[in-house]
Amino acid sequence: MDQLSSTATIEPVTPGGEVVLEVRGLTRRFGGLVAVNDVAFDVREGEIFGLIGPNGAGKTTVFNMITGLTPVTKGSVALHGENITGLKPYQIAQRGMARTFQNIRLFGNLSALTNVEIARHTHTGSGIIAGVIGLPRARAEERLTRQRALELLALVGLADRAEEKARNFPYGDQRRLEIARALALQPKVLLLDEPAAGMNTGEKAELSDFIRRIRRDFDLTVLLIEHHVPLVMGLCDRIAVLDFGHLIALGAPEIVQRDRRVIEAYLGEGE
Amino acid sequence: MAEFYTTYGFLITSMVLAAAMALSLYLPLMAGQLSLASPGFYAIGGYIAAVLSTQVFHPGPGPYPLYLVLIEMLVAALVSAALAVLVGVPALRLRGIYLALATIAFVEILRILSLNLPILGGAVGIFGIPQPFNTQGEYIWLGLPLLLIAMVFIYRLERTRMGRAFYAIREDETAADAMGINPTATKVIAFTMGAVLAGVVGVIAAHFLNTWNARQGTFDSSINYLAYVLIGGSWTVFGPVVGGLLLTALPEILRGLASFRFILFGILIAVGAIFFPQGIITPELLSRFRRGRQPGRPASGGQQASQTHGPAK
Repeated sequence: MDQLSSTATIEPVTPGGEVVLEVRGLTRRFGGLVAVNDVAFDVREGEIFGLIGPNGAGKTTVFNMITGLTPVTKGSVALHGENITGLKPYQIAQRGMARTFQNIRLFGNLSALTNVEIARHTHTGSGIIAGVIGLPRARAEERLTRQRALELLALVGLADRAEEKARNFPYGDQRRLEIARALALQPKVLLLDEPAAGMNTGEKAELSDFIRRIRRDFDLTVLLIEHHVPLVMGLCDRIAVLDFGHLIALGAPEIVQRDRRVIEAYLGEGE
Repeated sequence: MAEFYTTYGFLITSMVLAAAMALSLYLPLMAGQLSLASPGFYAIGGYIAAVLSTQVFHPGPGPYPLYLVLIEMLVAALVSAALAVLVGVPALRLRGIYLALATIAFVEILRILSLNLPILGGAVGIFGIPQPFNTQGEYIWLGLPLLLIAMVFIYRLERTRMGRAFYAIREDETAADAMGINPTATKVIAFTMGAVLAGVVGVIAAHFLNTWNARQGTFDSSINYLAYVLIGGSWTVFGPVVGGLLLTALPEILRGLASFRFILFGILIAVGAIFFPQGIITPELLSRFRRGRQPGRPASGGQQASQTHGPAK
């Protein structure tokens, strides 16, 4: 843990489950700008882990590096002890990591059902010819894909609109649909990038319950980026705070909340 | 009817082959890849048929046996597939218009090669390709089954795991990647499927036209096939087929206007592009058609017909 030593409140990892995600010295430069600088943390099995910080602090860049969308300049990411630094996004997804996007990236012209079905790609294996001819095994697999997708749509409350195009859903529903799609990957680790953005207060409260429920029902470890402080404080087991690409605090919500640097950098800015 | 077909058999067969070529362009487009390589594979298929039937197979007197045509098709499919993987892996790293340019270059390289390879007859090409049929119209017995098989294949493919992966990449390659779909492999598969179809159509075309040379399958035809897909509609399997049939027939229908017909043809394409930005056949049109036949079933959301989406984002 020597990478973490220099800053104020950085709690040693609370004893608990096995380490699922291990981030070490993670750094990303864009030209002369260091967007993420030497960030390190562990995420334990079953945790809900929050990543917060002011705009431009590098939260989404951290997510993009963990999921392989942005190449890592320096440092490493390990999933269940396996080094996944430098793997392609689809390879990381196949190893049990799913995500949603800050600026929603659904397959807009496809139906909600198809959006979710697509994410079962790695859990299906019928050949092209078998699928086209409709061999029994391919048919059975197709039925299962459809059934699972419908179950996930029901879980997020969109079952009755399965055939509608994803682009026609209201903002909050699109966020829920993205979560359903991510769950179809049957992930061990779920990364949610601002899941509450664009939701009203009632929806935000529901979302907290929903995230807790899917963690339990799907045995998930959840990482989330969120701006809405009450939501993060109430929901997360531990929180990492980024400011200008640096990790400035890491620990339980009550502790992080009292940290002077955090208050200056983030909470003090009238959120 | 028989007399009509004697007169128009050539045209109708040409229409069917054009529709199949439009589908060969549509396949990579399903995965969002604007490839204009189809004429190259069409030319290769034609040369394979021409060389095999004039220089390799010697079936003796009488009409050329159909099973040999089928063997030529198989050879053309295998060669096209191998070459498509070879070309596709590096070329499909390019996106949008750059991929289109690279595939045009591929077609051009093949053209120059065929002009300079002695076995392919140089600029003169290969003549007297043996005929399995007595009239050109009878080639419909090869062309139509091929078109129907291709249509059923694609229609079914759209409802399978691989077809959905194509669409996912067409919609958002990054999101598809993050959902566990290997974009390169999937794009190469789509590209290869299109290449195989074009190669097989080339085999039929070589026998049908009786002669094959470097003027077959050039850049001009790339643009024609693209027009079939864009005017017909690039969002369903029916669009390219309708486009191919219609745009091949149109110059003949307008024949009475002599040379003016090309001007009118151009105007019709321009007008078509303005009034049918998504093409003639759209998913909305099809769902309306289905809704008409199955009352009570909600159509899959097509409220946004006015929002156009080019296939090559």
